[in-house]
Amino acid sequence: MIRTGTRYRLLALFVLPALLVYGGFAVYPLLSSVALSFFDSDNGGSFAGLGNYIYLFTDPYVSERFWNALRNSVLFFGIHLVVELPIGLLMAALLTSNSIRRSRGVYRTLLFIPATLSVVIVGFLWRLIINPLWGLVSFPLLGDAATALPTISLMSVWQYIGIPMIFLFTALIAIPNDILEASRIDGARAWATFWQIKFPLILPQFGLITILTYIWTFNGFDIVYALNGSAPGPNYSTDILGTMFYRTFFGSSGQVADTDLGATIASVVFFIILVTTAAYFVVLQRRLKTYEL
Amino acid sequence: MRSKLAPLAALTVAAVGLTLAGCSTGGDAGDSGDVTTITFGNWRVEDQALWEENVIPAFEAAHPDIKVTYQPTGTDDYNAAIQSQIESGTGPDVIMCRPFDVNRAWIEDGYFDDLTGLDGIDGFTDTALAAWQGNDGNPYCVPIASVLAGFYYNKAIFTELGLEIPTTMAEFTDVLQAIKDDGKYTPLALGSADGWQLSYNVLDSIGPNYWKGEDGRLGLIDGTKKLTDPEFVEAFQAVSDLKSFMPDGYQSLTYEDQMQLFTLGKAAIMPDGSWDVTAATATGLDVGVFAPPVVNKGDQRYLQEMPDQGVGLNADSKNKDAAKVFLSWLASSDFQSIYVDKVPGFFSMGSEPVTYTNALAQEFADLKTDALLTPRLQLDRLSAGNPPLDDNTWAVLQTVFNDGVSAKDATSKLQTDLDSWYTPAG
Repeated sequence: MIRTGTRYRLLALFVLPALLVYGGFAVYPLLSSVALSFFDSDNGGSFAGLGNYIYLFTDPYVSERFWNALRNSVLFFGIHLVVELPIGLLMAALLTSNSIRRSRGVYRTLLFIPATLSVVIVGFLWRLIINPLWGLVSFPLLGDAATALPTISLMSVWQYIGIPMIFLFTALIAIPNDILEASRIDGARAWATFWQIKFPLILPQFGLITILTYIWTFNGFDIVYALNGSAPGPNYSTDILGTMFYRTFFGSSGQVADTDLGATIASVVFFIILVTTAAYFVVLQRRLKTYEL
Repeated sequence: MRSKLAPLAALTVAAVGLTLAGCSTGGDAGDSGDVTTITFGNWRVEDQALWEENVIPAFEAAHPDIKVTYQPTGTDDYNAAIQSQIESGTGPDVIMCRPFDVNRAWIEDGYFDDLTGLDGIDGFTDTALAAWQGNDGNPYCVPIASVLAGFYYNKAIFTELGLEIPTTMAEFTDVLQAIKDDGKYTPLALGSADGWQLSYNVLDSIGPNYWKGEDGRLGLIDGTKKLTDPEFVEAFQAVSDLKSFMPDGYQSLTYEDQMQLFTLGKAAIMPDGSWDVTAATATGLDVGVFAPPVVNKGDQRYLQEMPDQGVGLNADSKNKDAAKVFLSWLASSDFQSIYVDKVPGFFSMGSEPVTYTNALAQEFADLKTDALLTPRLQLDRLSAGNPPLDDNTWAVLQTVFNDGVSAKDATSKLQTDLDSWYTPAG
């Protein structure tokens, strides 16, 4: 038997490598980025306190861009959630239903394939499909400020629909058969079985998918950048927090980089995600009932 | 993507290491120890083959002790890439310079060495050097090339419909209307998905004839003129009037889309920069180019000549002597005649005249005859604050095309945003 004290020391030793990597490549950059947001490199790196934050929220031009990007990020997230959950559920339900049992593997693979594609390829394909000159629709979906962001969101949903589907699929097949057999013996039809037995059992998965989608869309950047570059038009209607951060921090072809302001935006985004995620876990996730199966 | 490439990079490093080790054990066959390699960072990904096959070999033949590595980054990512490389001390030895405000900020941040006294730097006109001067008035980059903008047209379509090249805006509208009435071709290959080209290839091309080139541009800088003055509003109006001649769904057509439309022979006229002379003729079309039409017959003609590329010396470079030899060579007419010949669509900024073998490039160069030249309106001084007039013009022009914002509202928004931070230099 190893004594308890030695055991903890040993455990610490095993954890150390991972901790070093995590600390060096995740915690340290995060903290140093937050620290950067309190300085002003234009004035020789002097301490600026909350100056950058005040500038971000009060300068008429910069704050307009920020609120616009935040609104767009919320919309980007909302569209993902509203479209992704029902379709993901439908696909998962169909995959686990008896009607397509034989080719289940084929369908599952087909539906998941887009998630493995490069976002640049997805953007390019859709851009061609909806091109008003030689595509399927003559309406300039990406050119109209009202439809541009929903269009990009739906492309992204199309690409990642496989992820919620797989989550729900695995939850559905984890439901033991005896419960389903019992419901059948009690006289429940497929519809009733689904909504009254299966659905409550997979409900916690919705919480997980929601929060993952939230974090993922608020940190979103790639599909918008791939389609519309770092000053995403028309007139910033597809500008989300990720692209605004990129444009500010790294500069764009007509704009000089402002690292402090970029770090400030990054810190604000981090804070928003932190607070909402924490609130979600405290308020909602605990109340979702999980059942012992 | 970066993480996926990491193992590959590690492998490459390992492979290079092995190769070097192999060389050293292979004996003293070469005198490679005396060769200095300098890196040349730039945004001209398209020109890589032209530089590597024509320009750099000519330099290396004259200077066997220096090797030059061409290191391009796509234009959208270029500023970000250079800034992060220089901040981390891994920047290339010589760096391609953006004109005007971005470069002035880079100079202020100490990215470049002052090039006063470099051999050959005196062979440029003041206007050529102005785009890359610091606030101290010293040159920081060797001017390499300028670009022009005009209207490409499909000669076959003009012949088929019996059209003449327009010289005034009224004639231009008539020509566009005639093509539209005929119905077989799109009059104007132009989309508004990319804001930059609405600004650089349309507004800054037609506009100077309205705001009288340097008169208007310098007037904005010294504060004697406003974007809300009639000449600017009229220019925006003229740009806005083109809408009815653009293809259906132009709001989401990109720069690449319009080039395809034109090169497939489906559109008659395309506003574009001289850098596309190769692309515009790639499908074998018979293409000509005409200058932005003047407002009234007999007016003085203005033409956009934009200083596009300069090359500066990284202040942190470890190979400054070799880099300076390269920069002096870039300032010589040896280089200029090779360059403008092999990279058609870019024009030498040296004082000595050069001829162009590409017919369309020569046609472009001929547009300069009798025209007063002026760079793009937004880039000097007016884009050094937030919001930069440059980016702002792209976005505002998009609202003109896509949301029906009027020329009057567009110009007054731009002026208001400019007033929020800009204090005229005069």
